[in-house]
Amino acid sequence: MSLERTVTLVPEAGLHARPASEFVEAVNDHEAEISIGRPGEDPVQANSMIAVTSLGIEHGDEVHLVADGEDAEAALDELERILTTPEEEAAT
Amino acid sequence: MAERELQGTGATPRSGVGTVVWYGQDIELPDADDVTVDEAVERDRFADAVETARAELETEREATAERVGEEEAAVFDAHVQFLEDPAIEDAVDTEIAAGAPAPNAVDAAFGSHIEQFEGMNGRMAERADDLRDVRDRLLRLLTDGDRVDLADLPEGSVVLAERLTPSDTAQLDPDTVAGFATVTGGRTSHAAIFARSLALPAVVGVGDELDAIETGADVVVNGDAGTLLIDPDEDERSAAATDSGADVVEERVETTDGREIEVAANVGRPAELGPAADRGADGVGLYRTEFLFLDRESPPSEDEQYEAVREALDTFPEGRVVVRTLDIGGDKRIPYLDLPEEENPFLGERGVRRSLGPDADLFVTQLRALLRAAADGEGDLAVMFPLVASIEELEGALDALDDAAADLDDAGVEYERPEVGVMVETPSAVFVAEELAARVDFLSIGTNDLTQYVMAADRENERVGDLHDPTYPGVVRAIHRTVEAAHARDAWVGMCGEMAGDPDLTELLVGLGLDELSMSAVTVPDVKAAVSETSYSTASERAEDARNAATRSAVTNSQQ
Repeated sequence: MSLERTVTLVPEAGLHARPASEFVEAVNDHEAEISIGRPGEDPVQANSMIAVTSLGIEHGDEVHLVADGEDAEAALDELERILTTPEEEAAT
Repeated sequence: MAERELQGTGATPRSGVGTVVWYGQDIELPDADDVTVDEAVERDRFADAVETARAELETEREATAERVGEEEAAVFDAHVQFLEDPAIEDAVDTEIAAGAPAPNAVDAAFGSHIEQFEGMNGRMAERADDLRDVRDRLLRLLTDGDRVDLADLPEGSVVLAERLTPSDTAQLDPDTVAGFATVTGGRTSHAAIFARSLALPAVVGVGDELDAIETGADVVVNGDAGTLLIDPDEDERSAAATDSGADVVEERVETTDGREIEVAANVGRPAELGPAADRGADGVGLYRTEFLFLDRESPPSEDEQYEAVREALDTFPEGRVVVRTLDIGGDKRIPYLDLPEEENPFLGERGVRRSLGPDADLFVTQLRALLRAAADGEGDLAVMFPLVASIEELEGALDALDDAAADLDDAGVEYERPEVGVMVETPSAVFVAEELAARVDFLSIGTNDLTQYVMAADRENERVGDLHDPTYPGVVRAIHRTVEAAHARDAWVGMCGEMAGDPDLTELLVGLGLDELSMSAVTVPDVKAAVSETSYSTASERAEDARNAATRSAVTNSQQ
């Protein structure tokens, strides 16, 4: 079962460091094969921190997710949550 | 005179003198042509190195979380992910299949990605640093490369490095290391933050000139001026050696003519409580409660908040702990709270404005926790509300406190009413300070925001950084006016902004009549020493000159 979803990135800092790390961790927690990319461009494997980070996705950019496998829907839900949760900034 | 002086960015207001130890990777790769590669052996070596690296990262993550904080430790999670990245694994595999020994395969696999990130801007370029860190760790394990053991340096070492990663700095023992300097990095880099939290002399961002200093050279690291003196003479050497900061004084201090000034610490997370007490803080003048709300999916419970505040009160059994109620908005965000996007967040819904609006439920929970902790904790609790601009806001907050107390009464839960205060951070609060003081026990001046709003100069904007200075007459007079207003209503008045921690300004602040000064724990001993050397009567006369001064330079001159 292959599912697709397009999401607009919310974290101010873009998809790097902590949000990217959380994203990749979530991908690895699921069985489905997942790819991520800008709409209309070649996607990359979502289980690679390097590949995900190097897309250079910024706040407000659209990303296209494709998930293939048993828990594809649950995976996309979780990934969408991460991509749309604002990242907290410095604590002081 | 020193033979040469290099300029960088001071990370911490401390000087140290010592002998240079260069910390570099210096890893030599085997010559691939000379080695016969058994693919299976090289794959095993790589797998073993990844395994060991992961174990090291986990150990260092724990050490960093304990010594510096959870937020700084999070960088290790990213390193573990890079370590296990399928893109790296595939590339290493391909290289080994093509006949490369494991170290060369690792070097090649990371190389292209590092270059790719280096070519990108800002935060993305930082990922190149992370990748380099992970690559070097693997290469060291694969080549048994000699590396300076940062955890076991001779006493009086000054560490020089291209850069120091969080995992590097976490190993430095401030009792033996005299300081460090790095080629790269800024005031807010991990290494600089670490240095400040441990009062370790440090200069960052010196640039490539640092490379000219060789291992074994003597240097003075002046973290105040941001300079590095090479081959210092005796005078420079002893000046630096004695500038390791003032001795810790456990007791409360007073001026030469007997006016007691409370010197307290600003604390942002529980791990800082112990070190603050160790540095002689009389109490906590600003306990930021935001840490309780970060790094989680939902707000902390009343009991969690109660426990955290109690811990602070028990750390200072003879002292006072001033807890600031939740202060978010502006540049501070929390994922599960739905903060609005605003054109001017610093002039928007932040601080007490949220507690009286969208976060009213959180506010009541926090107040209940505070009231309960006040009854059970050893030290004295004081509670203050941030960013108050009007009497109406203060009354709203006081009503919420009354409601929380009434709830606890109804439920038969034991509580105690703490001292209550207001943070003076807005020009409006300065102008109505007397009316505010009439309703509370104390006022606490937050100079970072007060300066920002009085001078209309964004504290994060370098282009107006020069205007963001509390020694401008407008700010000095705002402070004075606040103190006068508080004292007229028998309220005490403290200060918890950066200004309070500058020993050069202690005399001015004592002269302006502040009763309490609160600062990062590092400078507590320095400010205590400065108070002990100050005459209140002389300070008052000089403060009068300062508040009559027309220019910033006249304010500064009045204090010399």
